[in-house]
Order: sequence, then C-alpha cells, then structure tokens
Amino acid sequence: MIMVEGTSQLCNDLLVDPQDVVMLVISWHMKAATMCEFTRQEFIDGLQSIGVDSIEKLREKLPSLRAEIKDDNKFREIYNFAFAWAREKGQKSLPLETAIGMWRLLFAERHWPLIDHWCQFLQVRHNKAISRDTWSQLLEFVKTIDPQLSNYDEEGAWPYLIDEFVEYLTENGCVQRNK
Amino acid sequence: PGCGPFKHRVEVDPKFFDKSWKKLDDAIREIYNHNASGLSFEELYRTAYNMVLHKHGGRLYDKLAENLKGHLREMGKLVEAAQGGLFLEELQRRWADHIKALQMIRDILMYMDRTFIPSSKKTPVFEHGLELWRDIVVRSPKIHGRLVDTLLELIHRERMGEMINRGLMRNTTKMLMELGSSVYQDDFERPFLEVSASFYSGESQQCIERCDCGEYLKNAEKRLAEESERVSLYMDAKTADKIANVVDKEMLSIHMQRLFLMENSGLVNMLINDKHEDLTRMYDLFKRVPDGHSTIRSLMASHVKETGKILVTDPERLRDPVDFVQRLLNEKDKYDEIVSVSFSNDKTFQNALNASFEHFINLNNRSPEFISLYVDDKLRKGVKGAANEEDIETVLDKVMMLFRYLQEKDVFEKYYKQHLAKRLLSGKTSSDEAERNMLVKLKTECGYQFTSKLESMFTDLKTSQDTMQSFYANLSGDSDGPTISVQILTTGSWPTQPCATCNLPPEILGQTNMGNADIKATFGDRKHELNVSTYQMCVLMLFNSTDTLTYKEIEQNTAIPPVDLKRCLQSLACVKGKNVLRKEPMSKDISDSDAFHFNDKFSSKLVKVKIGTVVAQKESEPEKQETRHRVEEDRKPQIEAAIVRIMKSRRVLDHNSIVTEVTKQLQARFLPNPVVIKKRIESLIEREFLERDKVDRKLYRYLA
Repeated sequence: MIMVEGTSQLCNDLLVDPQDVVMLVISWHMKAATMCEFTRQEFIDGLQSIGVDSIEKLREKLPSLRAEIKDDNKFREIYNFAFAWAREKGQKSLPLETAIGMWRLLFAERHWPLIDHWCQFLQVRHNKAISRDTWSQLLEFVKTIDPQLSNYDEEGAWPYLIDEFVEYLTENGCVQRNK
Repeated sequence: PGCGPFKHRVEVDPKFFDKSWKKLDDAIREIYNHNASGLSFEELYRTAYNMVLHKHGGRLYDKLAENLKGHLREMGKLVEAAQGGLFLEELQRRWADHIKALQMIRDILMYMDRTFIPSSKKTPVFEHGLELWRDIVVRSPKIHGRLVDTLLELIHRERMGEMINRGLMRNTTKMLMELGSSVYQDDFERPFLEVSASFYSGESQQCIERCDCGEYLKNAEKRLAEESERVSLYMDAKTADKIANVVDKEMLSIHMQRLFLMENSGLVNMLINDKHEDLTRMYDLFKRVPDGHSTIRSLMASHVKETGKILVTDPERLRDPVDFVQRLLNEKDKYDEIVSVSFSNDKTFQNALNASFEHFINLNNRSPEFISLYVDDKLRKGVKGAANEEDIETVLDKVMMLFRYLQEKDVFEKYYKQHLAKRLLSGKTSSDEAERNMLVKLKTECGYQFTSKLESMFTDLKTSQDTMQSFYANLSGDSDGPTISVQILTTGSWPTQPCATCNLPPEILGQTNMGNADIKATFGDRKHELNVSTYQMCVLMLFNSTDTLTYKEIEQNTAIPPVDLKRCLQSLACVKGKNVLRKEPMSKDISDSDAFHFNDKFSSKLVKVKIGTVVAQKESEPEKQETRHRVEEDRKPQIEAAIVRIMKSRRVLDHNSIVTEVTKQLQARFLPNPVVIKKRIESLIEREFLERDKVDRKLYRYLA
C-alpha cells in the first residue's frame, strides 16, 4: 500500500505538486479507491493502463496525461471518478470543502464562468455535504446550460440544489433571464 | 246495360273541342261569380272526361291555365283597388273565392288530373291554380310589396301596443304557407325577421339607457313572451324559434356584458342583495344566449372568490375562529340558496361555486385549525339556543362541506386530534353521540385511517371509566384522600404535546397539561368540592400554606409555563362565580406584578363547582409554527411512500409524470409541494431506491 507519505514521495519523484490535477488523472488510471492511497494492484494496473513501466517514463508521460482532461469523454469519466475518490471511507456524500476544492481543480482546466458563483452560493446557502446525484448532474449542467442560463428549463428535473443556484443567480442579478 | 256514363256516342266533330271547352269555360265563370249552384257536376265531369279521352288533355290543360290567369288578373285588380285597411280583407276574400273555385274545378277535371297529368308530368290542377295565384296576385308588382308592408306595419303597431285584426293576419299567413313554405319564408318570414331585428335593436338601445338591469330583463322577458304569443296566434310554428333568436340576439346577447356589469344593478349587485327573482329571470333568459351561462358563472365565481378572499384575510375576523367559520358557513348558505332557487340547482354553477370556495378557503393556511375550533366549540356547547335553531347534525354536515374544500386535510387532522383530546380529557363534550357522529362523517370522507386513532381515544375513555369504577369499588373506604380521576391513554393514539414541567404534589404523575382533579376546599364555613385542571390544582395547593402569593411566587413554585399559568390564573380569579382566588389589582389581564389572595368570601349555590380552563384556544404564533413543522415532517414519508409505489409499478418514469402521479395520490389529504417531491426523489436516489437513466437525465428508474 502506498499511503499519504508514499504519495507525497511519488509526487516528489514526478516533480509535481500534490495538488496538481495530473495526480487525479493518474489516480483515475489506477482506479484508486481513495485519495492519497494506492494498493499495490491499483498501482501496477494503473501504470500498465498508462503504458509505462517506470517512474521516469511516467514523468515523461505527464504532459499527455494532463492533456487527457481536455478530452470530453475522458473528462467526464475523470470527473465522475473524482467523487468517490475524494470521499471519506464509508461516507456516502462529499464534504462541502472537499467538493469545492475538487470543483475548482477540475474546472480550472475546463473553463466554467460560473464556478466562483457556484462555490460562493454553496458556502452561503447550502453548507452541507454534496450528494453523488448533485455532483454528476452538475457536470451535465455545466455542459448543456449556457452561462446566461438562457436555455435553463425549470421543468428539467435538475437537482433542487441547482434550481436554488439558478434562483440565487437571478436574485443577485448575475444573469439576465428571459422568463 | 247499367249506368255506363261513357257509352254515349261521341262524334268526331271538328268543333268538338271548342264546344266542350266553352261549356267548361262558362261553368268556371259562374263558379267565380258565386253561381255554382246551377251547374251540373256530372255533365261537366263527363265533358272533361271525353276531352281527355279524345287526347285533348294537353289543349285542355293549356286552356284551363289561360282561363285561370284571366280570372286571377281580374281579381288582382280588385285587390289593388282596395283602400287602406280593406286591402288585406279584399285579398282574403278573393283568396277564399279562388280556393273554393279551384276545388270545384279540380273535381270537374279529376280525370285529367289522374290520367293525363302524371304521364305528361304537368302540375296537377289544384296545385297549378295555387301557383298561378302566387304569381299573378300575390307576387304581382302592385300587390306584393304592399302585402308585405301591410303585414309588417300591423305587426309593428301591435308591438307598439295597438290592437290589430289577428284573424286577418292569421288567414293571410296561412295563405302564404299554403302557397308553399318557401313562399312563406321568402315573402314573409325573412322580411319579418329583418324588420324585427332592427326594431329590437332600437328598443334595446333605448331601454338600456333608461333602465337598470332588473327592469331591462323584465322588459326583455315580456317581449319574448309577446313574440311567442304572436307566432302562435298568426304565424307558422317554425317561426317561433327564429324570432326568439332574433330577440335573444338583439336584446340580450349584444348587451350582455353591459347588463351584467351594470353598476348598482348588475349581476354582482343581485348576488350581494339576494335578488332571487331577478337572478332567476337572468338565468332563464340567458339559457339560450351563447356564452350566457358561462359568463354568469365566471362572474359569480370571481365575485365569490373576491369576497371570500376579503373574508379570510381580514385581520378582524381572524381574531375569533368560531366567528370566522360561521361567516364561511353563512356565505355558503347564501350561495347554496341562490343556486337552488335561481339557478335550478344547475350542477355547473354548483361546481363553479365549489371551486371558488376551495380557492379562497385555502388562501388562509389557518383554515384547517379554525374549522376544527369551530367544531370544538359546537361539540362543547351543543347548539342550544343557536340563532337559527339548526340541530347539531345539520351544522356538522355543513362543516363537512367546508372540510372538503381544504387542501391540507392532514393539518385539520392534527388539530382535530388535539382538540378532541382536550375535550375528552376535561370531560367537556356536550354529547357523546355528536362526537361519534362527527367521526363517522370524517371516516366516510377520508377513510378508516383518518379516524382510527381518534376512535381509539374514545375506547380509552370508556376503559378509563370502567377502570375507575372498579377502582373505587375496591377502595377500602378512605374518603379523606384526594379523589383522583385517572384517564388511560393509549400511547400513539393521543396527541402528545411538549409536556411542560410542573411541580406537582408528588402523588400525581403524568401529562400535566391535561387531566383534572377534585379538591375539597373550605371557604369560611362553607365546604365545596372544586373540579379543576391539573395546573389549577397545583396553584390552589400552594394556598394550603399561605393566604397570599404574588404571580412570581406562583410561577416559581409551580414551574408552569407563563402562557398557561396566566390562563390558569385568569380562570381562578377573573371569572364571575368561579373566583376562588382574589386578584390584586382587579383587572382582567394577568400581569407579572399581580398578587393573589385566597378568597374566603367565595360562594356558590352548588356544592360541587367546576372551574374550567383547558379550552382549546387558537394557537399562538410559536405553537402554530411548531404544528406546521410537524405536519411538514409527517408529509415527507407519505410522499416517499407514494413515489416508491408509483416507481415500483411503472419501473421507469420521467420527472414531471412522477410529480403529477404523486399529487394525484395524495391530494385527498394535502397538496404536495413539487419542490418537496423533488427533494424526496433525490433522497431516494441517494438511498439507492431510484437512479437516473443513463441516457435521458429526466427519467428515473426503479432499482429493485
């Protein structure tokens, strides 16, 4: 098992910051169950799936791994993977702080203009953990609804948290909606 | 040998036709001159017969036509010459003559009618005679216009109040009908309807400036009756509907909006002032008018909603829940009467009323509580001496009607339970039978689950009474101990309320805000037995050791919550005839600085004195929030259960359909909020009862 220290060491070896999103990509390849932990099996399978057999080769692969985020399909998988990965063991939902951190990390690479409003809204109005459904539906929201919310549909079966977010944006004049 | 009339020998005489025709020609002249009696029918018939036999049918027919035309022209001139009022009479006279003549001529020429005419496809004699009359007399340029004008003129005069010769009218229109229904319709009916339309257009315009709505409608009704009578007296029956439509349109349909909305006399005014006669008239008149009834209905509905809204949101009214509900009942009575008396119990109107009531009753979210309080009031006091002497059964039935309008029946249930519990535990119900009656009504309306807990409360009471009886039967005669009355409460059936602490004499335990006790008390030299609530008992017991206590001392020693304590002290000190305590100062309200003295001057005619409180009161604001919160919490599992039921059977369903189905399932109890439904769905997703479809995010799947 590679645990927190081991992960830290790994990051050193790879010359990356532990907060670097590439670590998430690597963890995804490894199908790691938990943040900052790798079982032996996960580690080996992961390296294989990436197509390398040494740390040096892994280091060389970093740019292309980072680029994977730009791919729509892979991004979706990585995004959804991140939820379970970032969770505490035995918990069903993701603590708000962690969720916000993950979102910022993920959407830094895939520009979403509303990310700041979203995080602020959550801290001001929600203050509770994030459910899996909300997590995955948020990606759909980001992908399909434009930042001015012109194509947001109240009957769209969005999670209530997202409905509330839309209300929040409207109340605060952040968007102009034609109702 | 026998009578064979046709055995005469007929010669082939070149003048045969002319001679024969002359006979007929002369005969016809005599007929038209009213001289028919001298003629021999048989001879004439035979003459015609022979002519036809000898193949002169065609010539005979043509000659006849010419002949008739001649007579008709003469008659026409006579008619034209008639002056003024005699015109119609002359026309009638000539018509009668012509008909009589035609009948005879037809008889004479019957053989031709039966043999020659069918094969030559010509018009039979009589009919042809009528056609000729139509063309030469009626539709002659000098007569036709005058005829129509005269008829219409007479009708107009009659409409203006004059008496006219109806018999003459009748005969004239009959004549037109006999000439053919298209003659009647084209020559008379159509101009009649046109002229009537402009007459009534003018009449209605004048009337609406002069009259108020009620008067106008009376006039319209009168006119309609007149026209109907007119038709029956001197027109074809089929004209009845047509003229009615004209009057409806000109007098009613065109001015409908203006009439209904007339200030101070229109529909709303009639409703407010219970003008049943006017309303009946309006209903009857507008039955046939397009959108008539639907307009009345919608105006009534919006008026009821408006006045209802004012009723339920008026802060004055909200202070007294019993009065609030009584006003609702009065309003319902008022409109029920209107619908029954004036609107023929029309179901569509009843439905519109119901929808309006449902709308405004639910505008005030305290309606369920207030209705329960009203029932509570009635069940405590009974309805003796009620202003309108209805028995309790009728009152409860009427309350049930209001209950049906409630969208939040589960809120009502909660309050009803609380109030019922208080009534039962304090023994304050005036009639057990009435209580049970009410439960039966609720059960019929809402099903068994609604009332099962309430019913078990009754059972507990019976059990308590039985147990008490056997308890006292077994007691070894120590009558100095405090008499207690115990109520057995099945947990779960009785509404629990946050049970305030209260420092009880240590012998007593239990729910302190209910229950009562009998205390023996001595005032001067009089002994009384006081039946008091638990709280009252605690307060009074303090006076065992002292005669005077301040409010603060009482509060401290009993630890009864201030709101309840003040109510309790009021009942002990401020109620005439029950003032076992004396308050200083003597004001009605309890303030923190008051002092209380044991009132040894208390007297009562009765040995046993019941000192009441524990009356169900309308909840204070925090209590109300509390109750509402509990109702909301109770709703969540019901919503979830509904979602699961639906998804289990449908397997896959989209979001909006789930909301619709859930609402349908629960609407008998309350109207679920779509946002709450959404949150419950998400909770069920979290707990892995449901999942979203991978392709269409608006669909949900049931996870077995």
